[in-house]
Formats: sequence, C-alpha cells, structure tokens
Amino acid sequence: MKKTYFSLFQLILLALFAALIVVAKVALRLPLQLSGHSGIFWMAIIIVAAGVVPKRGAASLVGLTSGILASFLGLGDFGALDTLLSYTMVGVGTDLALLLLGKPENLVVAGLAGVIGHFAKFLVKWGMAAITGAPVGFVALGLLKAMIGYVVFGAIGGVLGGLTLLALKKAGFFAYLQEKR
Amino acid sequence: MSQKLRILIGLIVVVVLIGVVLGIEALRGRVDNSLQAEITLEPGNVPIYLDGKLVAAFAPDALETLEQVNLTDAEEGKNQSGYLLHDVLLTYLDEDTLSPETQITVASSVSDKSAELTWAEVKAEENMVMFDLSSRGTLKLVSLLEKLDVRDEWVQDVDRIEIANP
Repeated sequence: MKKTYFSLFQLILLALFAALIVVAKVALRLPLQLSGHSGIFWMAIIIVAAGVVPKRGAASLVGLTSGILASFLGLGDFGALDTLLSYTMVGVGTDLALLLLGKPENLVVAGLAGVIGHFAKFLVKWGMAAITGAPVGFVALGLLKAMIGYVVFGAIGGVLGGLTLLALKKAGFFAYLQEKR
Repeated sequence: MSQKLRILIGLIVVVVLIGVVLGIEALRGRVDNSLQAEITLEPGNVPIYLDGKLVAAFAPDALETLEQVNLTDAEEGKNQSGYLLHDVLLTYLDEDTLSPETQITVASSVSDKSAELTWAEVKAEENMVMFDLSSRGTLKLVSLLEKLDVRDEWVQDVDRIEIANP
C-alpha cells in the first residue's frame, strides 16, 4: 500500500489542533483592547502542532482546517473568504518560517515563527481591505498599532508554544510518539 | 547556513514586510489624494452628506478629540471599543440641523451594507450607536439597538454617511 505523507494518527492530531484553535477563538476572551491579541493562544497552538507533527505543511493543514471550520461557524467580521484566507495564511506563514528557521523547540525560532505566522494573518486582512478599497486613512490610523499588536502577540504565542513543546518533550510525549511508530 | 543567520533573515523578513505595508499605504494615500483633490476629500475621509449635499469629510484626526466608549456585543460577548456616532456627527454639524426624525444612513460600498437610523436613536446614549475601529483599521458601525446588535447587521468598512431631514 502506498504510504501517505501524513499518517492517520498525525491527521487526527492536526484536526484536533484545528478544532482547538476555533474553540479557543470562540471561548477564550482576553480583556485587551489591542489588535491581534488572540495570537497569544492562536500561535501557541499552531507552533505546538508544527512541533508534534514535524512535517512540512502540518501548520498549513491546521490553518486550512481551522479556516474551513471558522468560516462555516461564521466567525470574523469580514465574511467567510476573509476568515478562511486569514486562518489558512497563519499556517502557511508558520510553515514558511519554520522552513527557514528550523525546529520550533528552540524558543527564539518558535517566537519568530509565531511573529511571521501571525503577521501573515495581518497581511491577509490588510490585503483584503486594500483590494476592496476600504478607506485608507482609517486603515493608516490603526495600521501601525495593529502591526505592532500582531508582532508582539505572535511572538508571545510562539514562545508559549515553544515552551509547551519543551514541556511535552520533558514529559516524554515525543518518546511515546516514537514508540507508537 | 547557521541558525543565527537564519534567525537574522527571519527578522529582516518581518521588518521588510512591515516596511512594504507602510510604503504601499503611503503610496495609496498619495494616489487617492490626487484622484480626490477635486472634491476636497482627503484619502480615508468618510464623506458626510446632508440632504444630498456634501457638507463634511469625517477625518481620522477627529477621533483623537472624541471620548472613547465600549460596549459588549450581545452575540459573542466581545468588547467593542470606539467612538459614538452622535459625537462624530456633532463634530461636523450643528445640532440645530438635526431633528429627532432625521434619517441617518451609514453605508459601506465595500461590504455593500447600510444601516438606517433616526437622530433620536443615534442620540440616545443607551443605544450605543458607535464606530468601532476594526482590527484591520477600518470603521465598523456597531450598536446595542435590536436592529444593529449582531455581526450580520453591523456595517463594516464604513465609507459614507448620509443625513436626510424629513
């Protein structure tokens, strides 16, 4: 039988991470009046997913799956396409960052991958606003503040994800996964 | 390639992306300026029409002088933070030009949505008819009014305000 790129076990894990992103987005509310603050948990989950399933495309798959789920649930203020693309790009951005940076167990790598992945989401939202011709001045007003928010919260989320991976490693989770193979 | 170099490249990528976004926005601003010079609207301004006549251009700078308010939306319990439409309109218009029955239409050509309100509804503070600055930096009309209290009813990417007196 032809071997698939992701095993069934890995696909189930990634689907669970995708569901966790959507649940976190709906259930977790941080009392912060800052753009991109949800990146704290969002990027943490994506980084953990990319660490637990160390294959290219794992984060993208989580992003795409969570994007489809979120679109069907009507999350986001700017329509299903904006939601789908922004969720997906978080994963794609993270995958591209990890392709360059290496394994997310390194906290600097995890933080930077979190920044790039989360910033990819900002780029989609900004790009959609630019394409649809949303008023420029109001975009500019919140633009720098929003970008800083996305970078900072992406970094915090990434580091939290990296710390989670280190904790999982210490607890023997990866050795357990190795045994399962 | 060493890990340090990879991280440095990653940081440069982030800085370049931020620079590209700011550069494109600056360019967009300049292009829009030249296009709209004839109608005296600055890029990013939201035109305010009173009885079909352009009377003001709602500029981002105006928000700095307004008091920020918050509401918790009924649908998701999320906190929306922004500026009352009432305060925005009174920044540009004399209250004498508005009667309780005056129709105020807040519209978005981008999302193809609009909301029709009376001045009485906008003025009532308990209705919290306000502009929230969305995460992508555009204006979103939100409220506690029953006809404007869920996402589907909100007006995202507001780019026009029309006021019609009866």
